[in-house]
Amino acid sequence: MAAALSIYAVNKVCRRAVADPAFADALRDDADAALRAAAPPLSERERELLLAGDVGALGRLGANFFLLHQLARIEVCGLTLPLYAERIRAEYASERAQWASERAATEG
Amino acid sequence: MATIVGALGIPHNPFTALAIHRGDASGDDSKRLYGELAQQLEAMRADTIVVFTTDHYNLFFELCVPIFCVGVAESTAGPSDYPMLPRFEPAVDAELAAAIQESVVAEDFDVARSQEFEVDHTILAPLGVISPEMEHAIVPFWLSTSMRPLPAARRCHALGHALRRAIEQSPLERRVVVAASGAFSFEVGGPRMSEESHVGVPAPDWAIRVTELLAAGDVAALVSETTSDQLAAAGNASGEILNWIAMLGAFDPAPAGFVEAQRAEGHAYAAWQLH
Repeated sequence: MAAALSIYAVNKVCRRAVADPAFADALRDDADAALRAAAPPLSERERELLLAGDVGALGRLGANFFLLHQLARIEVCGLTLPLYAERIRAEYASERAQWASERAATEG
Repeated sequence: MATIVGALGIPHNPFTALAIHRGDASGDDSKRLYGELAQQLEAMRADTIVVFTTDHYNLFFELCVPIFCVGVAESTAGPSDYPMLPRFEPAVDAELAAAIQESVVAEDFDVARSQEFEVDHTILAPLGVISPEMEHAIVPFWLSTSMRPLPAARRCHALGHALRRAIEQSPLERRVVVAASGAFSFEVGGPRMSEESHVGVPAPDWAIRVTELLAAGDVAALVSETTSDQLAAAGNASGEILNWIAMLGAFDPAPAGFVEAQRAEGHAYAAWQLH
């Protein structure tokens, strides 16, 4: 339960990044400071993953992908949309292979 | 007496609308299809468009998310989320919106009310192409089709029935179009994205199946086939089909007068003339 509540803080960072230009600027100027000031507070691990742009791990923690990809759309946390997509594909490679084989079986 | 005079199913990809406004060739096929819907809408001679749609975390975010919510105000503005699109300030049919909420709540649908809101691209990207003069008042009707838990398809369909009764029992003189915004299969930013970009259409066959059911007017099959497993496989925006299912509840099942899919986009354009 605590994890579900905590990941809300990550989603809120993503939302503020696109809805609040001052916060987006703060992320660009000093991401660590901006993330330390986030409310509700991020866990240490969430803050580290955001700083690293590790969207795959954040996705595994339950972050909302629609909100998460907005970080790449506005290019903060070292992300671009192609890099974001590459990291999500890599993290979920085994599931993607499974889904592809299921689709092939259905279509076959 | 208020009357439901037609129904529309409208995709809302903001980048398609942007391409059309900019005159890019990539928007040509969608421009043709929106043009079909514009002609259909003109023939309906509507006063008000009730739009079932999905807040893309712009109004409610994850802060307080109603499963169903109607917007009651004199006017609105937007799109709130894509500043590169043209900005509009459509009128809202506050009288009808309030009457709808009162009626459906009296029928045990716990529909929330928002009285101060902008609307996002899901309404104004397509309407800005179909009806850029904004000559119709709108009533935004949000369904929570993105953030789990989603309402069940049968519940959304029943909500459409309740909307129909609300409109048909209203003494207001209105010609009302019921519209649904959204796709059938689409993934944004999630693991089911394509190999080429951060979005994708994970279940194009499902999008075609939905289109066939719309063409046949087989609403019962659509409701029963729209399961949580099907929605999970069809992408994180696929719950938008629930907007269509609510819209389909507002009139007797009938083959769409116009329907055409864009398989690669995971959606379709559709219209029903009802009076």
